[in-house]
Amino acid sequence: MRRAALTAALAVSTGVIAACSGAPSPAQISVSNGGCGSSWQLADPGWHTFQIHNAAAENADVDLVNPGNGAIYAEVEALGPGTTSPMRLNVGSGSYAFRCLFEDFEAITGPTVVVGGHARGTPAILPVTRNDLLAPARQYHDWVAAGLNTLAGQAGALAADVRTGNLGAARTAWLTAHLTYQRLGAAYDAFGDFGDEIDGVPDSQAGVHDPDWTGFHRLEYGLWHGQSAGQLTGVANKLVADIRGLRASWPDQEIDLIDMGLRTHEILENALQFQLSGHDDYGSGTTLATTQANIDGTRELLTILRPLLVPRYAGLPAVYSWLDRLQALIGKERRPNGTWVSVSALSTSQRQQIDAACSQALEALAPIAAITEPRRT
Amino acid sequence: MPDPTDPGQPPSVPPESVPPRRAFLRGALGAGAAGAVGGAAAGYAYRATRPAPASQALERAQAGVLPPVPFHGRYQAGILPQSQRQTAVISFNATADGRAELTDLFRTITARARFLTAGGTPPPAGIGAPPSDSGVLGPTVAPDGLTVTVGVGSTLFDDRYGLASQQPARLKPMTAFPDDALDPAQCGGDLVLQLSAGNSDVAVYALRDIARHTRGGMQALWRIDGFTSPARPSGTIPRNMLGFMDGIANPDTSNRAQMDRLVWIQAGTAGEPAWTAGGSYFVVRLIRMLVEFWDRVDIAEQENMIGRRRASGYPLDANSIRATPNFPADPTGAVIPLTSHIRLANPRTAVTADSRILRRGYTYDRGIDQVGNLDIGLIFTCFQQDLKRQFETVQTRLAGEPLTDYISPFGGGYFLALPGVVNGSDYLGRAMLA
Repeated sequence: MRRAALTAALAVSTGVIAACSGAPSPAQISVSNGGCGSSWQLADPGWHTFQIHNAAAENADVDLVNPGNGAIYAEVEALGPGTTSPMRLNVGSGSYAFRCLFEDFEAITGPTVVVGGHARGTPAILPVTRNDLLAPARQYHDWVAAGLNTLAGQAGALAADVRTGNLGAARTAWLTAHLTYQRLGAAYDAFGDFGDEIDGVPDSQAGVHDPDWTGFHRLEYGLWHGQSAGQLTGVANKLVADIRGLRASWPDQEIDLIDMGLRTHEILENALQFQLSGHDDYGSGTTLATTQANIDGTRELLTILRPLLVPRYAGLPAVYSWLDRLQALIGKERRPNGTWVSVSALSTSQRQQIDAACSQALEALAPIAAITEPRRT
Repeated sequence: MPDPTDPGQPPSVPPESVPPRRAFLRGALGAGAAGAVGGAAAGYAYRATRPAPASQALERAQAGVLPPVPFHGRYQAGILPQSQRQTAVISFNATADGRAELTDLFRTITARARFLTAGGTPPPAGIGAPPSDSGVLGPTVAPDGLTVTVGVGSTLFDDRYGLASQQPARLKPMTAFPDDALDPAQCGGDLVLQLSAGNSDVAVYALRDIARHTRGGMQALWRIDGFTSPARPSGTIPRNMLGFMDGIANPDTSNRAQMDRLVWIQAGTAGEPAWTAGGSYFVVRLIRMLVEFWDRVDIAEQENMIGRRRASGYPLDANSIRATPNFPADPTGAVIPLTSHIRLANPRTAVTADSRILRRGYTYDRGIDQVGNLDIGLIFTCFQQDLKRQFETVQTRLAGEPLTDYISPFGGGYFLALPGVVNGSDYLGRAMLA
C-alpha cells in the first residue's frame, strides 16, 4: 500500500516520506498553467531524476524550490511547449515543491513534499532577482562613469606629450591611461564600437600596418617602435576623441543585469587569453600591468556584488585568496621604477605560477555568473 | 631508439623467466590483437597479456565500451598492459605552494583518476555553477579501458617541497644522448600523466577533467597524443611509421618473477628510498621519424638498418617472426649487420639480459614542419626497475647506429611511475609525501 500512503501524503500537500526500498524510476512531472507538479512523490533521499514535461502552450521555467524561502535546488529553463527535459539532483532532507514560471503569468507553486531525516543533498540557492541587481548596476555604472572621467584627463595628457614630442613622457602617460581603461573591465564589447576604436588590435591580415588600426595599441606600437611625434599625433588625438565620445554616451548606456556576473570571470578570461599569453603586447611589455588592472576591475565587481554573494556562494573566500595570490605573483614583476617585466621575459616557472593562479581564480569565479543570473520568482 | 622491432626472448635469460614457446605465443596473440584494446590489467596486472577474444575486444573498442580497468592495486594499472589504441602524455610542473598543497594535488589527481577509470554519472552542479564536467562523453562517463599513469620527475625533489631526501636514487633529468636534438620546452617536468584508453575522446576527457580540478596545483609543460596501429596484414604486432613491426619482444608481463626483476622497484632495491617500492622508472622519449627521407631509402638498406624484413618482420637470418636471430652464427654481420638496430638493442647475451626494458610505444602524428615534411614519429615509453642498468645501457649501445640519420629524439623525460593506490583511502604519492 505504499502508493496509497504516498498519495495521501501528497493530498495534504506536505508529508514526511519514510525511506522506501527499491530504486525509484524517474518521475514524470507535468506542468501547465493549471498546475505545477500537482502529483509527484519523493522516495528516498539520494539521486533523483525528474522528467519535466511542459503540457502548456507557452515556454516555462521550472524550478524545484524550498517553498519556505524560495531557494532553488534545481531548474529547467526555457522548456518549450510539449517538450520534456530531465532534472537531476541529490535530494537531501528538506522541503521540496515545483514552481512554474510561464511567460506572462504569475509563478505557480505546486504541493510540498518533505523529506525527513538528516541527509545532505544538493544545496538550494536563493535566486537573485532583477530587483536585487538594480542597485549594483547603478553603482557599477557610476563607477565606470568616474573612471571615464579620469581616463579622459589622462588621455588628454598623453596626447599633449605626443604632440609636443615628449615621447618618453608619452610612454609613461600611455601606461597610466591604458591601465585606467583596462581597470574598467572592458571585456566582451562592454563599450561597443568605442571599445574597438579605443583598445582594438589590428586586422589579422594587415597586421601592424593596418591603416584603420587606431587606439591604445596602435599608439603603443608607435611609441615602442621608434615612430615620430608627427606619425603619432593623429592617433593620439583620435584616441582622445573616442574616449570623450564614450564618456559622452555613457549616461545613456544601460548595464545589462546579467553582465555583471558574467564579467566577474570574463575580464580575467580575457586577461589569460590576451595578456598573460603576451598576445596583446605591441611593444610596451606591460601585459602583466594590464592583468593587474583587470584584477582591480574584477575586484570592483565583486565588491558591488558581495552582498548578494556572501549568503549564496561558499566558494567566495577562495576567489579572494586566488586573486590575492595572482596579484602577489604579478606584483613581483613590477620593477621599483614602475616599469614592468614582460611576460616573454619570464621564466617558464614564473609564467606557470602566474597562469596557474589565474586559471584557479577563474575556476573559483566561474560560478558567480550562474549564481547572479537574474531569475524570476 | 631502443629496439622497436626486436622479437623473442634472449636465449640466455634464466629458465624460470622463459615461458614455453606456445604459452608465449598465446599471450602475444591475446595482447596484440586484443592487446591494444583489451590489455586491461587488474591491480596486480599479470593477466594483462592473457588472450581475450580478439574480435569481441575490437568491437568493444570501436563502440567505446571497453570494461573498466581496476584502479586500485599494488602497482599502477597502466604499466603492464599492452599499448591501448589511444594515449595522451602530458608533462606538468607543480605550481602548488608548499607541501600541503602538493599533497592536495596528488589527492585530487587520485580522486579524479578513481572516478574516471570507473566511469559513472558526474553530479549535476545545481543552479549555482557551470556544469561539473565537459559533457564530451555524454551524461554517463564510459571508462573505455582508461588507465591513468602518474610519474614524478627529478625536479619535484628540489627545495620547493622538502622532498630532497626522498629522491629516487636513479632519477635525474633526461640524458641528452649524442644523436638527440632535445627541445628544452618539450623535456622534463615535475609530473607526467599518461592517459590511455580505447578512444581518444576518453583520453581527452580525462585530461580536461584532471586539469580542471588541478588548475592551481600544476601547469602543463608539454603534451603529445599517440595511437597504436592495428597489426597489418594480420597477427599481433603493430607497425611503426617506418613501416616495420614494432614491439615484438618484451619481457613477459605475466611472469611475476621477471617483472620483479625488470620492472618493479623492490623493497630494498639498492639505494632506493623505501617509498619507491612498487614503482617503476618511466622513460618517455619523443622521437621524430624523418619519414620522407626514410621513404627514399631502398628496401635492402632499410632492412639492414633494422635487421628484419619489412614485410614479414622476420629476422634477416630466419623464416619466422618468432625466430631468435642467431648472432653467434653470424659474427661478422654478413647477414644481420653488426650495426643493425636489433643487434645493438638486444645482443641476446647473458650479460645483456638484465638490461631489457618493458617497451610501450605509440605513434604520434602532429602536423608538418617548416619545409612541409610530416611531423610523425614515436612516443617511446618504457618501464624498468633501474634507469641506468636498463634504458641507459640499451641507449648507449645504440649510439651511432645507422638508423640515427632517420630519427630525431626531441623531447621527453625521466620519471618514476609511482607505486599503486591500494584502496579508497590511499592516494598517489602518499608514501613519498608521508
